[in-house]
Formats: sequence, C-alpha cells, structure tokens
Amino acid sequence: MRASVNNTVVVNGLVKNFEVTEKEPGFLGGMKSLVSPQKKTVQALKSISFNVESGELIGFIGPNGAGKTTTLKILSGLLYPTSGFVQVLGFEPWRRDQKFLKQISLVMGQKNQLWWDLPARDTFELNKAIYEIPDTEYRENLSELVKILEVEDLLGTQVRRLSLGQRMRMELIAALLHKPKVLFLDEPTIGLDVLAQQKIRDFIYDYNKKYSATIILTSHNMDDLIDLARRVIIINKGKILFDGKLEDIISKFAKDKIIRVYLDKSVDVKRFSEIGEIRKYNFPLVVISVPREVSAVAAAELLQNFPVRDLTIEEEPVEDIIRRVFKEDYIK
Amino acid sequence: MNVLLKKYFQIFKTSFNQEFAYRLSFVMWRVRNVLQVLVALFLWDTIFSGDRNELFGYDRNKILTYVLGLVFVKAFVLSARSQDVAGEIARGEIINNLLKPVDYFKYWLTRDVSSKVLNLVFAVGEFFLLYLIFKPPFYFQENIFQIFLFSVSICLAIFIYFSILFIVNTIPFWAPELAWGGHFLITVIMVEFLSGIFFPLDILPDKFLNILNFTPFPYLIFFPLQIYLGKISGFSAIKGIFVCVSWVLILLFLMKFVWQKGLKVYQVYGR
Amino acid sequence: MEDKDISSKIKFQNNWNKLKLWLVGNFYFPIKIQIMAKFMKRLAYYLAIWFKMSRNSFLVIFSRKSVLFVFLAGKIIRFVFQVLLIFFLVNGSKTLAGYDSNQTLFFFLTFVAIDSTSQFLFREVYRFRNYVVTGDFDLILVKPFNSLFRILLGGADAVDLITLPFFYLSLFYVGSLLSPSSLDVLLFILLIVVGLLISTAFHIFVISFGIITLEVDHVSMIYRDVTNMGRFPVDIYKEPVKSFLTFFIPVAIMVTLPAKALMGRVSFILVIISLIISALFLFISLKFWNFALKKYTSASS
Repeated sequence: MRASVNNTVVVNGLVKNFEVTEKEPGFLGGMKSLVSPQKKTVQALKSISFNVESGELIGFIGPNGAGKTTTLKILSGLLYPTSGFVQVLGFEPWRRDQKFLKQISLVMGQKNQLWWDLPARDTFELNKAIYEIPDTEYRENLSELVKILEVEDLLGTQVRRLSLGQRMRMELIAALLHKPKVLFLDEPTIGLDVLAQQKIRDFIYDYNKKYSATIILTSHNMDDLIDLARRVIIINKGKILFDGKLEDIISKFAKDKIIRVYLDKSVDVKRFSEIGEIRKYNFPLVVISVPREVSAVAAAELLQNFPVRDLTIEEEPVEDIIRRVFKEDYIK
Repeated sequence: MNVLLKKYFQIFKTSFNQEFAYRLSFVMWRVRNVLQVLVALFLWDTIFSGDRNELFGYDRNKILTYVLGLVFVKAFVLSARSQDVAGEIARGEIINNLLKPVDYFKYWLTRDVSSKVLNLVFAVGEFFLLYLIFKPPFYFQENIFQIFLFSVSICLAIFIYFSILFIVNTIPFWAPELAWGGHFLITVIMVEFLSGIFFPLDILPDKFLNILNFTPFPYLIFFPLQIYLGKISGFSAIKGIFVCVSWVLILLFLMKFVWQKGLKVYQVYGR
Repeated sequence: MEDKDISSKIKFQNNWNKLKLWLVGNFYFPIKIQIMAKFMKRLAYYLAIWFKMSRNSFLVIFSRKSVLFVFLAGKIIRFVFQVLLIFFLVNGSKTLAGYDSNQTLFFFLTFVAIDSTSQFLFREVYRFRNYVVTGDFDLILVKPFNSLFRILLGGADAVDLITLPFFYLSLFYVGSLLSPSSLDVLLFILLIVVGLLISTAFHIFVISFGIITLEVDHVSMIYRDVTNMGRFPVDIYKEPVKSFLTFFIPVAIMVTLPAKALMGRVSFILVIISLIISALFLFISLKFWNFALKKYTSASS
C-alpha cells in the first residue's frame, strides 16, 4: 500500500501579474512616458493550481510567453506571486531561506552559472564551498556525474572553449553536486543538436530514477517531453489546459506527423488520400498528415511513387496541439 | 565557522583566478595606472622646479609622496569587481547568484577583496619601480598613531566605495540600458575628480572644498593620504574618522534600502 | 650624306614634338580633367555614404535618450572639472613650465578639440574588435566599399558631435585671450589639421593591429592614455619621455605644437617639417593596414 507522500510542491490559485510601461514611439512619446508613464498589467499566470509529489518528473509545455518560465521562477524563489499559495519543500520560495536554497537547483538554458574564463572544475569547487558539501560526498558525486556525462577530459578546459552541448553538461553537474531535492530546468535542450539533446534527456531521466529527485522542467520542444515526462502540464496564456499523463495527450492529440511535399509535376490529388489525410493542397505544395508510426513508410512511398521535388516530415507543432486542446476545452 | 571561512576563501580564490585569467588585460590596466601616476609626478615636479618651496600647503616631498602614495591607496580602495553587478542585472544573469545560499553582498565584498589583493601585489612592484626610476623624496610617516588612523581611514574608505558601487549597481533594476552609463557618470567621473586622484583637493578654493566635504568622495583617497602626510592630525583626524564612520553607516543603509526596492521592481517587471 | 641624315633626324624630331603637343592638347588635359571629375564623383560618393552611416549611428544613440543624456552630462562634467582643476592649479602656482594659466588652459583645450574631433569621427574603431570576433568583419570586406573607410569613419559619435561646438567655442575664446597674430592663427589651424592627420594615422595603426591580434582593446586604450599625456604641454616631461612623445608617438606634434603656434613660438620651417612627418606617418599607417589586410584574407577565420 502506497503511503501518502507529502507533496514536495504545492501550488494553489497562483496569480502573477506584471506591469509593463508602454512607450510611445518618437521623441514626444519618449518625453510623455518619462512624465506620465502608461502602465499596462500583463497577466502572466491566471490562477493555476497543481501539486507535485516527491520524485516526480513533470514537464511544463507551452508556447513562448505561456507562463512556464514565470512559474519556474516563482517556484525557485526569484519572483513573488501576486496572489495565491505556493510552497516548495515546506518553504515559501521567495523568502530565499538558505536552508531552502541548499535543497534546490535551477538551470536555465541560456543563462550560465559557470565562470566563463575558468575551467568548469573551478566553478565546481566554488559550489562545493558555497553549498557546504563535505569532501567525500563531493568527490563521489563529481566523479559519478562526470562519468555519466562523459566529460572527464574537459574538466580542465576553459568554459568558453566548450561547445554548447558540453557546456550544458557542465551546467548540470554544477547544479547537481549538492544533490538537490528539487531540480528546476528551464529549456535545458535549447540550441543543442539532436544528439546532444538526447544525451541530456537520457541523463535527466536516469537521474530522476536513481535519486528520486523531483524534477520540474519546461520546454517548447515536444521531444523533451516524449522522452522524459510521464506527467505533463500544458500551459498557455497563463492557464493550465491539461495536467495528466503524457500518454493521454500523445495518444489523443499528437498521433499524426505532417508531411510536406513539393511536386515536380501535377498529380491527381486523390492519390494522396490513400497515404494520409490531406491538410492542404496548393500546387506544387501538398500537405498531408499521417499517423506517427507510419510516417517514415509513408514518406518512402511518396518518394517512390510520386514526382517529388522536395519532402519534409514535421511534427505537428505544439501550438497546433495546444490550440486543439484549447478548442476542445479539455477539463482536468 | 570553519565552513563559512572555507566558503569565502573559495569565492576569493575563484575570483582571483578569474581576474588572473585575463593576464594581458590586467597588465595593461596596471600600465595605464602607472602612466597616470607618471603624468602627475612630472607635473608636480615641474611645478616645484626652480626655487619654489611651498604650494597649497605642500612642499616638494609631500606632494610627490602624495602622488606616489596614490598607487597604493587606489589599489586598496578603488580596486573592485562589484561594478560587474550592473551588467549582471541588465543581462538577467543575476538570478544564478541570487539562488545560491550565500549573502549577495558578502559574496561581492569577498570578490572585491580578492581584486584588491591582486592589484596590491602589482602596486608594490610599481611603487618600487617608480621610486627607483624617479628617486622622489618620499615622506615616511613616523607617528604610529597617524599610521593607525591612516589604516582605519583606508578600511572605512573601502566600505564607502563598496556601497557607492552597489548603489550605482541598482540603476539597471529600473533602467537596464543605463548599466554602464550609471557607472560612467558616477563611479568613473565623479569619483575620479572629487576624491583627489588627479590633484590633492587642497588646490581648490575653500568654497569648493567646503561643499565637497559634505560628500563622501574626499574620504576615499584624499582624506587617508592627508592623514598619512600628517596634514590632518590629532583631534581633527579623529573628527574626520567619525565623519567617515557616519558616511559608512549612511551609505550601507541606503545601499540595502535601494537594493530591496530594486529587487521588488525587478520582479514586478519580470525581467 | 651625313648632313642629310642629320637634317632628316631634326625634321623627324620636330614633327614628333609637334605630334606630342597636339596629343597633349587634345587628349592629355581632357584626360586629366576626366580623372579629376572621376575623383570628385568618388569623393561625393564616399561623402554621401559617410552621411548615411553617421545618420544611422546617430539614430541608434537617439533611440535611447537616457543613455545619450547620461553620457553627454558625463562628458561635459568631466570637461568642466578638468578646466576648473587646471585653472585652480596654475592660478596657485602662477606658472607651469613657463606658461601662465591662460596658456596652460589653451594647451588643454587644444588637446580636447583634437581628441574629441577624433573620437567623433573614429568612434567605430572602438567597436572594431567585436566585428572581428563575431565575423562581421568578413561581411564588411565583401562590400564594394573601402573597408578602411567603413571601419574608421562608419560610426560617428553623436554625443561627441554635440560637445564639439562647446569645446571649440571654449578653444577660440581662450585663444583670443592670448591675442595671436593672423599668421599665428593660420599656422595654428594648419597644425590642427596636421594633428588630425596624425590621429587618423594612429587609429589606422590601431585597427591594423586589431586584425593581426585580438588585443586591439588594449592597444587603443594605451593609445588613449599616451595621448592623454598631451593634456599638458610636453615641456613638463623630462627626457627620455619628451623625445618619446615627440618622435615615437608624436603627441607633441599632434597637440602641443598647434598650441605653441598660436602663441607664436613656432617657426614656419617647423610647420613644414610637421606636415611632412604627419604625411609620412599616414603613409606608413596605410601601408601597414594593407599588410594586415593581406594577412587576414590569406588566413582562414
């Protein structure tokens, strides 16, 4: 029988508003905004609620500006909520209690914590001192992380000489040396090539399994979530549209892939419907959707039997899925 | 306690390494410092050539000591890394350090101290170099009490400068495009002229000097050097130290206040 | 028979001379004029593009008025402080290396005029390192526009431009207090031009270094510090610094000499020599630039 676990993260009715000053263009407008600034309130989060259990790996997905990063920043303590209840590991994050900070970690894809001109090793030693990690624990954690992420030879290289993928791996090590109970990841795979993305994802998955660290990650890359999160929260325009198992979304909504075909010669359009559902026809462009599992086969067939000049297989864009989720007004 | 010391020592060490990684840049920076002092040395030497004995209350010994002493006092008081904070705020990188279990001010103060140590090492070398080349008559302060007051004034000057830097650092909270502009205007220009780096402030007429004494700037460089040279001694020196202390308290309080306000605004605008 | 040869030779010479004269009259001068016209057109082209580039540069600064205001205030405050300090200094000491306070101030103002004009024109040089690092320099090289011109003059600084009238007015005011003769003024203006030429040569050297090594920031900072030594008349420096500043990095010629000219302390011959030196300097810098460019384009990024 499963014991009821204390929720690591509790969010109830979280609202976050931002004030934005609107500047009118031109010189007069600039002067006006100096004297009487026009303030506009942007509702970044419109009362969201969810809980996360210890050891869960959940993914926030949504388009840019949906509120994912804002949520993460509030959970890690960087932003104050406008109203609502937020608790992480029993603390109110924005108080930035040192005891709280020692148990969490935040990794933002674009903003490095590594010291640029020094070898990554120096940042690690600094974090060791800051997080007060005992020597033996430090050495064990470090060697393990370094081994898994395959960066042994790079510890002495200046961070600015590392590739983006290598840097990301070092960032993860720096963030995990103190074995945080909660790990916040904001767009961890952004800018990485496909291979590097996979490596990072595998690592995050294994780490979660091994250490039962609660991991909350945000992404607008669907593959991040397919591989990683069992539980997914779709957020858009500050509202949670879906909170549940990944399988449900995928099986329900993202079962198709889109194939774009540019034709050399005109062809009877009906022939396409044998392969997949025609979404758009505008010679020479034909767009059809096919079930994910057969996309490769369908593409092969198109290439063989049709006068194809160019062909691409694409994911159905996340925005489209979300749009559809939104349209169907899915209630949790 | 031990762990705490280790923490700050590691910060010190890492900051030191970082600055050292830019060796050439750093050496150039020191060369520029030396050039500035050189110009001042020549200038005052020329003024005091011939049979001039005294000017603005200095004799040749004292004025050249003032200029040479600048090398040290500048290294002590004005070497800092914490002006980088303005850039960190403007670029949003500040989030990384905010979430570390370390007091933000103490973190940067430690980094400043690290920079001061590095600069001092070079300052010693430059001092001897300049001394050997020029052989200026250096005035050695012999009064122990004066030396003690001199050291105290330097320590206080360090805190005054730190708080000024941090107050200017908060500008990007409200106006991120002014991250460098703010430092240019206040940290570079105001401090340069009003703290006595180019000329001892006594060359200014009394009216100006009186106004200046209501600001914290003279207490950065000018006041400590005056104590060393013995031009301010005994009771007036102690009075000056008290004014210094009050400036430290006022500025540190202002710094914390503005910083909190700035953080709040930062959050409201969601950068 | 010899006579016949000689006379025919002379006849041939005469005809050849006549032909040459006819050719020169009908083709040479028109060609010269054509070359002149072409040169003028090219000049107009570059001038027009300079205007466009400067306009863009100005728009950028004006789009952030707070930044403009802060830097403008900073520069003016710095100027006022420096003038006050020099004024009080020389007022108290009565003389600096034989110059009274007006004269010393005039040295300083000459420095400011030349330095600010250079900064106004050549601000882009300080952004050069970025272009090389990011690879944007390649994009500049590919355009049908002289890359040196682009790097040197492409980013005219609006803030400096605003301060220039202010500085020049102060310069002329203090200059008038020294009651120079018209010849003095003429020589002064001539030497200011010489000073700007030397400054141009310097900046070309700086960016040439910037192509070869990435340490252009340091080189330009050192250049600024050394020229800043020209704030005071070079007379205050002792040897070997004085010779260094006269012959190696000719700050003395660039800044001190024009001021001295206004005070009537410079002979015409000296002016000619300075002109020659500056032309030489410029020539060498251009050669160096070409050398650096060759090096860059033959290496990979």
